Amino acid sequence: MSGALKLYSLSRSVSGRPSIFLRACGQNRLKSTSKGDYINVNPGEPGMSLNEVTDRAAEKVFFTELVRGFAVTLAHIFKEPATINYPFEKGPLSPRFRGEHALRRYPSGEERCIACKLCEAICPAQAITIEAEERADGSRRTTRYDIDMTKCIYCGFCQEACPVDAIVEGPNFEFSTETHEELLYNKEKLLNNGDKWESEIAANIHADHLYR
Amino acid sequence: MLRTTLLKALTGSKLGPKHITVLSRAASDVAKKPEKIEVFIDDQPVLVEPGTTVLQAAALVGVEIPRFCYHERLAVAGNCRMCLVEVEKSPKPVAACAMPVMKGWRIKTNSEMTKKAREGVMEFLLVNHPLDCPICDQGGECDLQDQSMAFGSDRSRFTDIDFSGKRAVEDKDIGPLIKTIMTRCIHCTRCIRFASEIAGVDDLGTTGRGSGMEIGTYVQKFFLSELSGNVIDLCPVGALTSKPYSFTARPWEIRKIDSIDVLDAVGSNIVVSTRTGEVMRIMPRTNEEINEEWLSDKARFAYDGLKRQRLVTPMLKATNGELKPVDWETALLSVAKVMKNAGSSIGAIAGGLADAEALVALKDLLNRLGSENLCTEHTFPMDGSATDLRSSYLLNNKIMGAEEADFALLIGTNPRFEAPLLNSRLRKAYVHKELDVALIGPKVNLTYGYNHLGDDPEVISKIASGSHPIAQKLKSAKKPLIILGADLLQRPDGAAILSQVQKIASLASPAEGWKVFNILHKVASQVAALDVGYTPGVDKIRENNPKVIFLLGADECAIDRSDLPEGCFVVYQGHHGDHGATIADAVLPGAAYTEKQATYVNTEGRAQQTLPAVSPPGNAREDWKIIRALSEILGAPLPYDSLEDIRCRLHQVAPHLTRYGDAESANYFKQAQELAKNIQSDKISGSPIDVKIKELKDFYMTDAISRASPTMAKCVQAVLKQEQSKY
Amino acid sequence: MAKFLGIDKVLSVLNIVKENGGLRASLYKMFRMDELKVGTLVGTDKYGNKYYENKRFFYGRNRWIEYAPYYHLDYDGSQVPAEWFGWLHYKTDLPPDQEPFRPKYKWMLDHTENLSGTPGQYMPYSTTRPKIEPWIPTKRC
Repeated sequence: MSGALKLYSLSRSVSGRPSIFLRACGQNRLKSTSKGDYINVNPGEPGMSLNEVTDRAAEKVFFTELVRGFAVTLAHIFKEPATINYPFEKGPLSPRFRGEHALRRYPSGEERCIACKLCEAICPAQAITIEAEERADGSRRTTRYDIDMTKCIYCGFCQEACPVDAIVEGPNFEFSTETHEELLYNKEKLLNNGDKWESEIAANIHADHLYR
Repeated sequence: MLRTTLLKALTGSKLGPKHITVLSRAASDVAKKPEKIEVFIDDQPVLVEPGTTVLQAAALVGVEIPRFCYHERLAVAGNCRMCLVEVEKSPKPVAACAMPVMKGWRIKTNSEMTKKAREGVMEFLLVNHPLDCPICDQGGECDLQDQSMAFGSDRSRFTDIDFSGKRAVEDKDIGPLIKTIMTRCIHCTRCIRFASEIAGVDDLGTTGRGSGMEIGTYVQKFFLSELSGNVIDLCPVGALTSKPYSFTARPWEIRKIDSIDVLDAVGSNIVVSTRTGEVMRIMPRTNEEINEEWLSDKARFAYDGLKRQRLVTPMLKATNGELKPVDWETALLSVAKVMKNAGSSIGAIAGGLADAEALVALKDLLNRLGSENLCTEHTFPMDGSATDLRSSYLLNNKIMGAEEADFALLIGTNPRFEAPLLNSRLRKAYVHKELDVALIGPKVNLTYGYNHLGDDPEVISKIASGSHPIAQKLKSAKKPLIILGADLLQRPDGAAILSQVQKIASLASPAEGWKVFNILHKVASQVAALDVGYTPGVDKIRENNPKVIFLLGADECAIDRSDLPEGCFVVYQGHHGDHGATIADAVLPGAAYTEKQATYVNTEGRAQQTLPAVSPPGNAREDWKIIRALSEILGAPLPYDSLEDIRCRLHQVAPHLTRYGDAESANYFKQAQELAKNIQSDKISGSPIDVKIKELKDFYMTDAISRASPTMAKCVQAVLKQEQSKY
Repeated sequence: MAKFLGIDKVLSVLNIVKENGGLRASLYKMFRMDELKVGTLVGTDKYGNKYYENKRFFYGRNRWIEYAPYYHLDYDGSQVPAEWFGWLHYKTDLPPDQEPFRPKYKWMLDHTENLSGTPGQYMPYSTTRPKIEPWIPTKRC
């Protein structure tokens, strides 16, 4: 590769007298030139013996290259495909996969989020907006928990920062939408996500529990 | 940041309050010439006065020793032990906050022993401190958090959690303003010391000892004081936090804007914390000359009134007598039409929250239309020197001066609730300097002892004639102070009282530069309004029967529909739907004090400016801009288009209005007294002297903002509930 | 001999067709899923989706879902419920009913597919109160 590059640059530099250079190449192919350690990597000039000329002519006439190519394609029809048939088969996923966000609940059904706002503070894309106030029972809760999923860079800092495992990036990645605004998640949506995906989220957290 | 520094440079404000105290202290040092002693803080030599504590000496060379219980403005308690430092040749570390330095001491604030002592103290504090920082409102601005990061051990030895767990204390209900989470308490006793020393309410204390120690009110009782909110700032941990602010914001996400409080005439310096276009909380800003580092509860907690009852869109009265929202164009056009038809028969009343810019703009506009009927809601006598001489309507001796006084005569005022921060100064002088206080007026609780002279106005004349024993006291006092409540002058015989009081003031023979005669105003706009030439009191309006009346935030019911002629068109410009807006035919929504850059002059005559922390809600606009727009439509455009222009106009009218931060002293005391002599003193009626705000429950709701505030309403409820309680 | 002639391949094709319920059904399945595979039925979720496994295929293709007939051609990747998601994505080898750490709480919601573009799609709205309460003039009497 580097040899070819050098050759190329050399050919540029001596473009004023190309014929001399080309001749030199032809004579000394695949040999070190006297100037240095250049190697010619181009295929050699075709042989001009009768046999070789006939072979080449036959290749051209019978499209043998084309046929060989089609044969390869044809063979793959009978082979097992290397791709997966997506909506039916799915690729392997780590329990640590960071997909769509969800807000979790305690087993009692109480929301976990305590509005400490650490996720909001750490979010490098500033995708999270939280507003909080005291709930009627005196506990600290959010009134607004918005994530702009179009700002989110799925770095997972929010779930790392969360002291109560409330905000998690769930396993779901199939949440594409047709409009932008559908990706501006609010608290209800995130809690619904959590309620929907809790089975998988809990399994993921358990799978990772030794490393937490 | 750049803006504030630039502004300071432009307005030419002087040295910060800190410099001033240092300077004054240095000056007094020279006078006394004490023998200074030399100590070494981390091998840096420093000369200090005898009696200086280790902590203060360290502060002089810029070494900060960690502390929880020590506070400059409170008595030394020495119970947190965080300030332990090593002193060479001393076998034990010493508590820096309580230990006076001795000659030649070598104090090591960074030695192994010091570090170990700090780590140990921190460990003990954290043993019983819950690990609930994520839900704690102090999180992010917590002394314990910061100091455990800086001075604590880097690893925990706490393994007890399964055995006995941490100490837990039941929360106390001490009122609607302060939320208590007593488990977090580290027993620094700052709150107790504040309550008994500064607020003068001995409600807080400790019970039990050792790990059973608790801070509380002994019996189920509210901690009700006009200064109670300050314990929130004092608390180094999250044990005492603000109830209205609870859980709403974090210190790292709020924007802080320096501003001025306008809910009383003191003009306390505040920091408005905002987030997402909403005022989250208001905290005091240190200004040694005004509020030190305290703030009254009304100033601190009435901010939720800024979110309710707001005027967000212009309104016009429809044919059926209801106010209907309209757009600015319609509103201004119809107001201008009415004003044009009225000719010069226009009156204006400025309320207590109006800023100097709006006052000047409104005055210029009405003058251009040929009217002079500009009044303020709060009256002041027009006889004698009246409002021509500033000395007769200012708190001449300044708020800071109250600390120095040795005798104070309060007439018809209750400074505790009319100006809580002036009262705290008086209390300070009472506690530390043996100030004598005498009061003429109803018997109220001022948090300190005073000589009650009764509420008979006769007493004033008696003192003036020298026949009252107090007159002797006044004459002998070196730094006497007479504080006259502005409320008292609203009486029909106000002028006579004023002249008598000025006569009393002339009896005293004060030290050089000491001003005896002081007026305490109740509203923030009054001094500025009088400075720019408004007529105090609405009598003029009643006499002149104007066709159009322009209320600039006038909500105190000074004038009513019944006082006005039939068919009088009432324009209300202001920020709250209160009394003024209900009688209005047209409503123009203005901005509240957190939403505009505006000038206010406090009762000392100190011009200060608020800065916009949030934008005005809805279609509301800054007040002077509305008046400017109206003038354009009226065909008498005012010659200012920007804030700079109107500030120039302010400067023309009264130059001190734009010297921000400076209190412009008044002169011509003699002349004022001379003029006052012409007033007939026998006009004083026999009706007893009264003050409007006698008790705490009257303190909370005094203006449009605090009347709209749910927190203030809760406070009133709490006071009423406390009255029912057997304690 | 049969192997040499490739007859075993033909037989297995016939077997696949038979397993899939005859020629007609197989053609339909080919049309719907682009593929015809046989495997052991690991389980069925409550929405009628069937989960198959055949270890003969390589990792990544050895587990698959046959969406419930109800969906016809409107099958979508997001129709896999949370319970089976882990199994289908090779996070776990146990079907959900055998996994011990999969909680079942009362408040857990039924699975919904991605509803974008349908009337049931999510639309953002504010969950807070308005910041400013305007003054509403009282009626004068």
